[in-house]
Amino acid sequence: MGLSQALASAISGLKANQAGLALVAANVANADTPGYVRKTVNQVATGGNNAGIGVRVTAIQRELDQYVQRQLRVENAGASYADTLSQSYDRLQQIYGTPGSDNAIETIYNNFTNALQALSASPDDPAAQSGVVSTGQLLAQQLNQMSDSIQGLRSDAELGISDSVTKANEAMSQIATLNQRIAASPSNDSALATLLDQRDSYIDQLSQLMDINVVQTGNNQVSVFTNSGVQLVGTSAATLSFDAQGTMTPSAQWTSDPATRSVGTITLTSPTGGTVDLIQTNAIRSGTIAAYLQMRDQVLPQAQSQLDAIAAGMASALSDKTTQGSAVTSGAQSGFDVDIGALSAGNTITVNYTNSLTGAAGTYTFVRVDDPSALPLSNDATADPNDKVVGLDFSGGMSSVIAQINSALASTGMTASNPSGTTLRILDDGAGNICDVNSVSATTTATSLMGGSAELPLFTDGNQAYTGAITALGSQSVGLAGRLTFNSALAADPSKLVTYASGTAAGDSTRPDFIYQQLTGASLTFSPSTGIGNASTPFSGSITTFLRQVISQQGEAADSASNLKQGQDVVLSSLQQRFNDGASVNVDQEMSNLLTLQNSYAANARVLSAVKDMFDTLMQIQT
Amino acid sequence: MSTSSIGAQSALAIQQLVAMRNQFNDLQRQLSSGQKSATYAGLGLDRGVTVSLNAQLSALSGYNSTISTVSTRIDLMNTALSRMTDIGSTVRQAMVSANSTSDASGAVTAQTTAQSSLDELLGLLNTDSSGRYLFSGRATDTPAVESMDHILNGDGARAGLKQLISERTQADLGSNGLGRLTVAQPTSTSVSVTEDAGVFGLKLASANSTLTGATVTGPSGSPASLNVDFSGGTPNDGDAVTLRFNLPDGSTENLTLTATTKSPPGANQFTIGATPAATAANFQSALSSSIGTLAGTSLTAASAVAASNDFFAADVNNPPQRVDGPPFDTATGMTAGTAANTVVWYTGESGSDSARGTAVAQIDQSISVSYGARADEDGLRNLVQNIATLAAVTVSPSDPNATGLSLALNQRLSTNLGGTGAQSLTNIAAQLAGAQTSLDAAKTRHQQTGATLQDYLQQISGVSNEDVGAQILALQTRMQASMQTTAMLFQTSLVNYLK
Repeated sequence: MGLSQALASAISGLKANQAGLALVAANVANADTPGYVRKTVNQVATGGNNAGIGVRVTAIQRELDQYVQRQLRVENAGASYADTLSQSYDRLQQIYGTPGSDNAIETIYNNFTNALQALSASPDDPAAQSGVVSTGQLLAQQLNQMSDSIQGLRSDAELGISDSVTKANEAMSQIATLNQRIAASPSNDSALATLLDQRDSYIDQLSQLMDINVVQTGNNQVSVFTNSGVQLVGTSAATLSFDAQGTMTPSAQWTSDPATRSVGTITLTSPTGGTVDLIQTNAIRSGTIAAYLQMRDQVLPQAQSQLDAIAAGMASALSDKTTQGSAVTSGAQSGFDVDIGALSAGNTITVNYTNSLTGAAGTYTFVRVDDPSALPLSNDATADPNDKVVGLDFSGGMSSVIAQINSALASTGMTASNPSGTTLRILDDGAGNICDVNSVSATTTATSLMGGSAELPLFTDGNQAYTGAITALGSQSVGLAGRLTFNSALAADPSKLVTYASGTAAGDSTRPDFIYQQLTGASLTFSPSTGIGNASTPFSGSITTFLRQVISQQGEAADSASNLKQGQDVVLSSLQQRFNDGASVNVDQEMSNLLTLQNSYAANARVLSAVKDMFDTLMQIQT
Repeated sequence: MSTSSIGAQSALAIQQLVAMRNQFNDLQRQLSSGQKSATYAGLGLDRGVTVSLNAQLSALSGYNSTISTVSTRIDLMNTALSRMTDIGSTVRQAMVSANSTSDASGAVTAQTTAQSSLDELLGLLNTDSSGRYLFSGRATDTPAVESMDHILNGDGARAGLKQLISERTQADLGSNGLGRLTVAQPTSTSVSVTEDAGVFGLKLASANSTLTGATVTGPSGSPASLNVDFSGGTPNDGDAVTLRFNLPDGSTENLTLTATTKSPPGANQFTIGATPAATAANFQSALSSSIGTLAGTSLTAASAVAASNDFFAADVNNPPQRVDGPPFDTATGMTAGTAANTVVWYTGESGSDSARGTAVAQIDQSISVSYGARADEDGLRNLVQNIATLAAVTVSPSDPNATGLSLALNQRLSTNLGGTGAQSLTNIAAQLAGAQTSLDAAKTRHQQTGATLQDYLQQISGVSNEDVGAQILALQTRMQASMQTTAMLFQTSLVNYLK
């Protein structure tokens, strides 16, 4: 005990006050710095050998709630996923135009059918004919442009993934570096606190890109895993790589096979050199990257396939001509003859039969396939869920075709033969009376504008006819919306909209009536790959009703994405609020701390001054 | 809901302010555009319905414009048809007044009327509605009929109606003007009438005699022949023989010769001679003279009608039947003309199907109206044919048979003009009126449906200005309050109170 002890205590108090003041200053200065966590001093009383007491700053404490921080990171991933998805959906919605406006696909379609109505009323009117041509061209161009926009969005998603991967790599390597520096940090001082702040900020960045799991290990170290358990950062960081593809086409799809994959994939290379495909293992389930992946591989391809279905529907509804077979008997056998000479690749022969024993009806659909490597076809090749689809290779001539049909029909008791020319004859089993052929028909694509019937190739695939051909690369319908063209021969001679054979009278509305009817009334069956209808009950309806479903479905998806985003935003900001309540700098609080520190400093100084006075007094006594 | 603390950054409060600002902008857009949303996503659950509604509305507007186009056409057709009816009446009237005049001047007037009427009639049949010929069937790009000059007088190498009539008249009258009949005396007391082998001229149908002592045999044989034998005695004054002839147009004429004691005899009389041979000689000369008159009047008229029937029964695919000649006065049959040597009056599309069905307009989902017409359908052809025949037959005032010919012609033509076939102009007009009624009904229905659909669409995609205005006011109040408190919150900092 002694004055010098008091002096020492006061000086330690002054020191502690200075440290506290420095922290207040740092806190206030960083009040608006993102990721900055409020710091407080940890000070302890120091005892001397007797009762002498001083104060010492032992650590700089970061004021944060780790539970909320973990929550926040989970929601961070969710929120950026929802945000990116909602933004992309917003852009996708732009493609469909403002409801009812001139740039909406429905309006452009309606304008086309309207022009057809006018042509139907005045087939001989050149103005009505060119009206159909110009609105038809607009419709085709609109589909082209929509298709391009969708592929543009896919390209953007690809770029978005690429950028995100770069950012993720940066964040991961920074986390690893900071981990090492933190491990090397000697004491629990403000430098360490700043490093921890920095590391947290990089982890937050990473958590926006993908869903991660952060595990605290000893000595202030963290390991970062994906939620599926792949380690991203330990003592050193793994690297992600993404092979972005320059151009995006409707047929470009992600597959697990690198040979057929035509879009980029994300590969993780661990510090030890092992690689894993994160898309294949479905390792990324949230965050910006997951949102981009979902757009690129699911949402946008589906939107494209819906447009393709509309384009294919319009083309084939107008050009496909179904010829019913003529009944024929041969001895006890009865069946049908149908000419299959005009079949193009993708055209079909349909055989309906009934098994008399079970009463069950069945359908075989034979499809002409010119690319043998596409054989055999799956039953999904047609939208009809109940038919058996058989691809026919026509390269071997009629006898080979008949043999292929016979081998497909063998189990049913029906037989195929070729009585003459290109006629196909399908007969039932005659006396056996197990199988009855109900009908045989051939569907061909009209390729001539003057084919003598109302069917015409009004819309073409570029300059080729659209027949729905199936090759090893897929169906001709893939990406058709981007290539759909209003037949240029028809644009050059609009009178062919009316004239379907030589000698057709100028006022004959047969063809305009047919076109209008097919585009507005005729029921088509749409493939379940469009996301509308399902495999067992595919959607059937007119093109207009399909368009309605498309708009409905896309609008609904965009709306729910936007709702999800709003929900996530609220969750995120209330969590952020809670986190901030603990971690962010409250200037008022700092100011009151400042007052305390000022007072404390003044008090310590007063003690110092008192000790000095007392020493002075002591000195005067001595002298 | 967490509350923001004074001085701390309030993420939630800021987010809400931003949200309110966005909502404000959106309301402003709604007010200016009148649309609830700029994307389908923002329309709510009924977004799909708007697509259907727009499609329906578009179809309705298409139907409506079809209706107005077709309505105009039907109106034009009706106007033309009613004028045609008037023309028919005018020509019939002219024929009636020609019949009541004793000389040929009436006939000449009727002919002049017929020519001007025909010109107008053909003009009416070539009525077009902005380039679309309404009476050409499906060939709406070609006029329905040739010009009057071509039809009557021909066009270069192509013969017209007048030439066909002239050829047919030559064929029917024969070189001697007796309708291809031969009147001879096989014996001194008998007279025979023999028709020609071909299809032309007068054909004997029957004979009826009250001649005392005379024997009438036939007509019989092929070609048919009739014999009147006076060898059995002398007829009494007033005894008569009536010969019935079939004419080329399907009509029949009776020729009655009455025995008289007067010499010379009057028209259609023969003087009873002292001997059967003298009576027979008188009978032969009276018969020849009467047949000559019949040939110059009724037969000429019937021949013109027959030629005209052939001329007007033709269309592009079936050119008219013509007399197989020259020479025409000895021709025995008809031959098909060609498009190169004969004018085909109807130039539109021809077919055996209903003329109405050549133009069909879809005016509702499942309702269509048929309003086509062909100038060669019965009602219209009948009118053109009869007026053209009247215009084509030349009645010369110097011809002693002029009045008779005019009478015979007018009788036939006015009967035909009255409507002999199954169809008259009135039928056509009635059918078109039916179509017009359907159009009007559909139009009214479309207006009502359109209003309902538009209403529904407005409910889904539109906004009410009052509603948006009220929302903007409410939002404004909230935003102001919120901003003010936020401002106060940020101003209330201890920093401001530390001096």
